[in-house]
Amino acid sequence: MNTLVLSARNLSRNRFRTGLTVLGVVVAMLAFLALRTVIYSWTVAAEVAPKDRLVTRNKVTFIMPLPKHYVERVKQTPGVKATTFANWFGGRDPNNEREMFSTLAVDTNTIFEVYTEMKVPEEQLATWKQDRTGAIVGDVIAKKMGWKLGDKVTLISGIYFAPPDSPWTFTIRGIYAATARSVDRSTFMFHWNYLNDRVPEIARDQAGWLISRVTDPSQTANISQAIDRMFDDRDIQTASQDERSFNASFLASFSAVLKAIDIVSIVILCIMMLVLGNTIAMGVRERTNEYGVLRALGFSRNYLATLVVGESVSAGIVGGVAGVALAYPLIENGIGRWLEENMGMYFPFFRIAPGTALLALAFAVTLSAVAALIPAWRVTQLDVIDALRRVE
Amino acid sequence: MIPLKYNIRSLWVRKTSNLLAVFGVALVVFVLATALMLSAGIKKTLGATGHDDVAIVIRKGSEAELASSIEDPTVGLVTSQPGVAQVNGRAAGVGETVLVVALEKNGAAGFTNIQVRGVAPEATLLSRPFTIIKGRSAKPGSDEVVIGKRLEGRFRGLELGKSFDMRRNRPATVVGVFSAQGTSYESEVWADAETLRSAFGRPGLVSSIRVRLNSASAFEGFRAAVEQDKRMGLEAITERKYYDRLSEGTSLFITVLGSVIAVFCSLGAMIGAMITMYGAVSNRVREIGTLRALGFPRVQVLASFVIESLILSAAGGVLGCLGAVAIGSVEISMMNFASWSEVVFRLDPTPQALGIALVSAGFMGLLGGLLPALRAARVTALAAMRG
Repeated sequence: MNTLVLSARNLSRNRFRTGLTVLGVVVAMLAFLALRTVIYSWTVAAEVAPKDRLVTRNKVTFIMPLPKHYVERVKQTPGVKATTFANWFGGRDPNNEREMFSTLAVDTNTIFEVYTEMKVPEEQLATWKQDRTGAIVGDVIAKKMGWKLGDKVTLISGIYFAPPDSPWTFTIRGIYAATARSVDRSTFMFHWNYLNDRVPEIARDQAGWLISRVTDPSQTANISQAIDRMFDDRDIQTASQDERSFNASFLASFSAVLKAIDIVSIVILCIMMLVLGNTIAMGVRERTNEYGVLRALGFSRNYLATLVVGESVSAGIVGGVAGVALAYPLIENGIGRWLEENMGMYFPFFRIAPGTALLALAFAVTLSAVAALIPAWRVTQLDVIDALRRVE
Repeated sequence: MIPLKYNIRSLWVRKTSNLLAVFGVALVVFVLATALMLSAGIKKTLGATGHDDVAIVIRKGSEAELASSIEDPTVGLVTSQPGVAQVNGRAAGVGETVLVVALEKNGAAGFTNIQVRGVAPEATLLSRPFTIIKGRSAKPGSDEVVIGKRLEGRFRGLELGKSFDMRRNRPATVVGVFSAQGTSYESEVWADAETLRSAFGRPGLVSSIRVRLNSASAFEGFRAAVEQDKRMGLEAITERKYYDRLSEGTSLFITVLGSVIAVFCSLGAMIGAMITMYGAVSNRVREIGTLRALGFPRVQVLASFVIESLILSAAGGVLGCLGAVAIGSVEISMMNFASWSEVVFRLDPTPQALGIALVSAGFMGLLGGLLPALRAARVTALAAMRG
């Protein structure tokens, strides 16, 4: 214990330099946590999706729909509790084209039976079901776009063309809130029937993809197989998997970006190590004389090395703790909130995972020890006579 | 003026500490340069695909070919508009179907979307770059396909002689690999137009119409004619603009992400440089005092230390850029947000990307060295004797 306090005290010898070093560690911690949180929030949708849900899509490509009558067959599969379906509408607000939010044509009767983590007030749900052009939107996007109940909203679709004299117009009938963090709070949902009535003959009675809830989550894989087998002899085959792996499989498209962020977060820690190592090495060189004295007094080489490593680790701990403590308000209230509101499609939940914070601290301690290895080794190699003779 | 030799020799005396600082700067420059090269690479790949004298007509609001759909009869209407080039009495225009198939990416879990283009025989009128480099061309009307060279071996089924499913019992067999002068076509699978439509159940529909114009200046007239009837809901843009638009989102995303990260990192590297320089100043108080006693004014001492810091950061900058150029031939495969399909591209070491990275190194040196240099400038001649 005494040794640790002693070595930490060495830090106060050059407070200015120590201050800069700790600041360097803090910056590295902030950057590391921010990057790790990007990866975490990108993959969180895959990790926390409920296990009792499975998605059925067209086997060949996700852009081609499934015949709507598949829904009835899937519904009757043993073990399936409820099934719903949705079509990607690709809608945008013509007055605000940059704003990104998902727009889905959904089955009004079943959507909330399957997506139980979206909560809509009973009376809003009832009015929505009544109104063929009604829409239910997420609380975040409603707030951002200033949409209130009863508002008329016109959207343009990148997929379903509407002539300028009869555009896609909707009435906001409900606002949903999320009870689970993986839910995108910026989705715009409207009646599938409204879409189906207006599309050309060839695109009619098609369901983009199917989502089912099963009674027993442990059976998800078997039920997925049973569904796919059912359509195996059809021209349009299906691919079903639980929602978690479905979401995760999308991440393959971004694997390069995720890997790059992963590497960069390590690079940042390397920079931190360089800064720490530099400071410690400087301190050690300036104190060569003292180490000579300590050796002459009979302190062992190992003890001196411990002193050096202890000094570095103390700086690492102080910087690490300060960095993590600063990161929480900065990331969760600052960047995180902004990302959740503006890019909810990709980052529905931008928060620091407890594991990430612990990892950051662990790295701060370990790497600060590693950074001190070379200076520590040098101290052990000191020749007492040389060290005493050296005058700075 | 204090000679430069003084700075260089001083840097050499404290090699270890200076090398650490140089590495810090080099890492930052490496990250920044790589991000900028990545973003330039996407722009280059997609930019090379587009030409000014080719117009592309899609459904209004669709952004990309993938989401757009146009009825067959419209193709004839569009290609007969004024400004479309004529080749042997035929209009140089073609309707094409673009789809994506979900294929497994080798070496990563999950699937990714690969763009498949249904190419009709008339497509040759567009004079697109296209050379078979392996295997042979696909037989018209068959289920054979050729693949862009960048796809080869990266995705399951995309190899010479292998196949992937278009629908049940209808595999598409890869018979050839083509190159297309570094354009994004090299990340596409080309199939027979009619085969693709029938296999995917899209009879009577195309995704886009491409026409070659008499000249780039004929575009405005062509566009006015196509967009005149608002009920048709068509949009005509030049191919170049179309591909610029496709690369915009993803390249901006990478630039912003890279810059934000670089700012964070550079704070760290700057602190590293600052510590080194402060160390240098406090170790050399006697030297500085001597310089002052010799009659060098404060400004020159200040300049000398700033220059020393700049040399330090320039070394880091060059090292970082060299590192980035060294990995420059790496191919990256990622999803392009705008087209929802995979694009394979190469890092592009543009002078601009490297220049920005070097300048940022200079800034790190300047900002990191300024405060220590100010301290050095405050050292008096007296300090030298006292020391």
